[in-house]
Amino acid sequence: MNKALDGEAVINSEIKPGIGQSTTQENNLLRRAGLLLVLSDALWIVQAGLIASALASALSSLSVANGREVQLAFSYLTLMVLMVGLVAIVRVLLQVTAQKRSRFAARQIKSRTRNELLNVAVSRSPALPFPTSGAFAVHIGEQVDLLGPYYQNYVPQVMRLKIVPVAIVLVTLWFSWLAALILIVSGPMIPIFMALIGSRAKAASADRQEELTRLSGTLLDRIKGMETLRLFGAVDRTREDIRRAGDAFRLGTMCVLKIAFLSSTVLELFSALGIAFCAVYVGFSLLGEFQVGTWGAPLSYAQGLFVLLLAPEFFAPLRAFAVAYHDRAAGLAAQQKLAGLIDETGENVACSTARSLKKRRPDQFFFSPPTVRFVEVSVIHSDHPIFVDLNLEILAGETLFLTGDSGSGKTTLLDCVLGFHQPAKGEIRIGDHRLADAVVPLRESVMWLSQSPRLFHGSLKANLIKGIRNREGVSDEEIHAALRLAGAGELVKRLPHGLATQLGEDGFGLSVGEIRRVALARAAMRKDAVLLLADEPTAGLDPQTAADVINGLATLSKERTSLIATHDPTVLRLPGRKVDVAKLCCRAELAAT
Amino acid sequence: MKTVWQIILEQYRYSRFHFAVGILVALLPALAGALLLGVSGWFITAAAIAGTTGAFLNIFVPSAIIRALAIIRTAGRYGERVLTHDATFRFLTGLRDRVFSAIAHSNERGQRSGLVLNRLTLDIAALDTVYLRLVVPLLVAAILALLLALIWWTLSFQLFLVGSVFLSSWAVLAWISFAKADRKNARREDAASDAIGLRAADLIAGRRDLAIYGGLNEAARGVSIADDRQAKAHEALEERSTWLTAASTLIGQLFLAAVLMAAVLGAASGGFGIATAVGLVLVVMALPEIFSMMLPGLAGLPRIALAARRTVNRVWAGNAVQSVDQVQEIDAALEVGTDAIAFEKVSFRYPGATGNVIDDVSFQIRPGEVVALSGRSGCGKSTVAALASRLVTPDRGRICLAGRSLDSLPEETLRQSVTVLSQRAYLFNDTVAANLRIAAPLASDGELWAALEKAALGERMSRNAEGLQAILGEGGVGLSGGEQRRLALARAFLTRPDLFILDEMTEGLDEGTSKEVLDRFNSHRGSAAVLIVAHKKCELDLADRIVNLRALQAASGEEVR
Repeated sequence: MNKALDGEAVINSEIKPGIGQSTTQENNLLRRAGLLLVLSDALWIVQAGLIASALASALSSLSVANGREVQLAFSYLTLMVLMVGLVAIVRVLLQVTAQKRSRFAARQIKSRTRNELLNVAVSRSPALPFPTSGAFAVHIGEQVDLLGPYYQNYVPQVMRLKIVPVAIVLVTLWFSWLAALILIVSGPMIPIFMALIGSRAKAASADRQEELTRLSGTLLDRIKGMETLRLFGAVDRTREDIRRAGDAFRLGTMCVLKIAFLSSTVLELFSALGIAFCAVYVGFSLLGEFQVGTWGAPLSYAQGLFVLLLAPEFFAPLRAFAVAYHDRAAGLAAQQKLAGLIDETGENVACSTARSLKKRRPDQFFFSPPTVRFVEVSVIHSDHPIFVDLNLEILAGETLFLTGDSGSGKTTLLDCVLGFHQPAKGEIRIGDHRLADAVVPLRESVMWLSQSPRLFHGSLKANLIKGIRNREGVSDEEIHAALRLAGAGELVKRLPHGLATQLGEDGFGLSVGEIRRVALARAAMRKDAVLLLADEPTAGLDPQTAADVINGLATLSKERTSLIATHDPTVLRLPGRKVDVAKLCCRAELAAT
Repeated sequence: MKTVWQIILEQYRYSRFHFAVGILVALLPALAGALLLGVSGWFITAAAIAGTTGAFLNIFVPSAIIRALAIIRTAGRYGERVLTHDATFRFLTGLRDRVFSAIAHSNERGQRSGLVLNRLTLDIAALDTVYLRLVVPLLVAAILALLLALIWWTLSFQLFLVGSVFLSSWAVLAWISFAKADRKNARREDAASDAIGLRAADLIAGRRDLAIYGGLNEAARGVSIADDRQAKAHEALEERSTWLTAASTLIGQLFLAAVLMAAVLGAASGGFGIATAVGLVLVVMALPEIFSMMLPGLAGLPRIALAARRTVNRVWAGNAVQSVDQVQEIDAALEVGTDAIAFEKVSFRYPGATGNVIDDVSFQIRPGEVVALSGRSGCGKSTVAALASRLVTPDRGRICLAGRSLDSLPEETLRQSVTVLSQRAYLFNDTVAANLRIAAPLASDGELWAALEKAALGERMSRNAEGLQAILGEGGVGLSGGEQRRLALARAFLTRPDLFILDEMTEGLDEGTSKEVLDRFNSHRGSAAVLIVAHKKCELDLADRIVNLRALQAASGEEVR
């Protein structure tokens, strides 16, 4: 067991720690915390000595039953008691300090892990695949939380386990080799038995965890479909199903727990037997029945009591370790999941590009509608070429409609302009700049309406002004104007708190069409934008809402270079050049012929 | 804290037998553990005296007792764990059921309830600690304390005094952590944990929009800030728990020192033998382990209290909602020739909204008639569908179904006479058969196949190796969007209502599929009336009559004027 632990430590100290792992410095901190615990345990040996000596002196003086000697023993007793009390205070302080340090280390590890995950999320291009938001939220929340107890409890306890039992055996050995043997025999048996039972329990508990996930999944599933259940009058029948599932889960869980409890029972049994055998051995040898086990001289009462007092403390680190072992299992599983998440993104934590986004930049970069030029651009999407040597120029202030079947690359083309895709070859120029140099200011100077716009937690107003640089100078009148332009003027009147209405996840409380209109208003708030990009702006809208959105787009596209991807004939009626993306003569298949 | 009491009482009432037996069995290992050390100490001292004086000592009984105690402690601990866990899980299963029915009877809708429920299942799982970590250790400690006090009382008053002082310090410690729990930081930690999850989800889901409009870094900073807040609150709670443990350890240690003094003095004054004195000291040595068992429960109390409050509120709030099933049938006679459904000056306002979504709306659908409700998105069409199917109840006005007031209809009758087909039709993570039988629990396999056939899914389903027993993923994964919609249609085909409500049924389906789904529906509906809520042309084409909701509201508004 110790070997494996050393192995872990070596890995941690030699290379940069993986996601959710501790650095050398944190490991040292945790080890030092463990050492403080060891020191506190070692002081128990001192206390046990004091207590044994006090009781031994009391025994000798009381059995002699001489008044003067009792008096002498009394002052000695007081001294011993005071010292036991003093050492007790020191021990408690040591324990508090140890916990404080390990807490600090755990907190650092957790915060660092979260920041690393965030860096990955921020630096990964939004156009590339990423784990779902729900999965990411669970990982950065609950999974990272599981790392805390692992580092905080397990690592210091390992330290304690390595040193304290050995120290107690050595001290015991000084007085009696047989007592030490009793401890040695019953001690190491524990990990062996626990490992035997534990491996079975581990498999079983993994099953149980899955069961629980399934049960709560079933529950969640039924609740999500509650409306359907009510509409078919099936609620009560479902209740019966859920009760049955719950009962089955309970019985299954109990079966698993019975195995799991066996492992702690083994621990309990050996520690109880260890103490019992120590007591019986000491008793018999004090009685004179039994004279083996010592180094010549028979065991004195003080020595025997001392040995007995140490025995429970021999087992204490083993028990604490057994408890912390569960934290370790949970922590390691969490580490694995986090590593899996990072693998899924294919991102290297170390080379995150997040920093480059923080660079200072001038307030405004683009002052007039720029030309957008694709020069020999090739884009490859997971080994599949989307564009090969694409040449396309959009004049300053021009409106270009991108048409073509779904999957022909309309969205990819827009993503290229936003810098979400890096061309494998060629370059994209925005006005006089290379896109690669201007991507950050460009993103701040673009009106962009995506196919499925997202609004954020926060008030409607906060959502609308989120994208503009100078938020203080915005009047409510400007906001209302933008909403009217997007055909959402009526909508605000219906909301309970007007502009201050809180919008939840996915723009909770708004329909798809309403979200689209709010998103258009959000785009319209960026009055100094020089570029307008819209991706299927009317998909899934009823004719009236679509008309509102088209009117808004028509106004906004007048003073800007605009790219609008659509196959809606009503949108295509607006003035502008039309280009079928599929016929740009740049598709891989065409290029190949 | 009140809600924690409530949970304890509930569990007690749920099964008094299991509740009590768990505690009684938990006493065994605690007592055996204390006695094991005590008897050991007594035994070696008595042996030492006998060894020096040569007095007779029966050595076999005590050594047998010591070994027996070792076994009892072990077996008792095992029995305790099994019994207490079993009792708790029984209770939690019942609680889960109650929470489910409370949610079922409340009128919550929308995606947020999913989040609430997710939270609730975690809360319920967390409530196992109330009995296991709080009630059992506290009661065991209390009973043990009483027994000890009694023994000390019979031995010596000094001993009793010293013992009582330290036992009461433990009691005070427990009281402080119970009554003065750091609820503020527990709430903060909770809120911060939620914020981490929500903000991270927001960040990932909206990466594109954030990159353009909000700045990803700012969103990431938001998560970091929440993390920092969580860490601070967590630190405060943990620090408190550290001091709690430290205080308990210190009490145990000082107790040991004090009892050492008191026991020796007691022995010196002749109240009892020195062997007994040693035994008493060693019993006290075993106490911290038993008393500190209540610490994790006490330290976790603020968090548990939050979970308990959410759960209790949910169950009680659910009970407060009057069950519609209990409403008595008023007029059983069906009037022939009345409208399939009639809205009479109905108004509805969503809680918290300033204006009515539906304002003074009246319209009728005759039996067998197909009426489409048109109007732009957000004008309240779907609310009309929800009102007609009694998912929400009107604030003013009356809705009649076949001449009977909707709010007086028993749930069962209502569900048999109205079938709703909406884009939100949910497919459960269960077998195809189970999904279909939601509509008709008694339908035979043959009837299920017939319904699938009508919905043009028969061929697709017979391709599955498991046929009707094939399990659908959550949300019906494994079937395409169109197939899912057709399965929902098949489910509806198992009913024979007087009124169908089509709530944007073909939304999100392509032209061809929409048309096919509608045709099949139309041939099945027979003589039933249909209320269509839609803006797609192909759905509106199905109607005998199209009513514009906006015009309806304006017209009725003018009539009033």
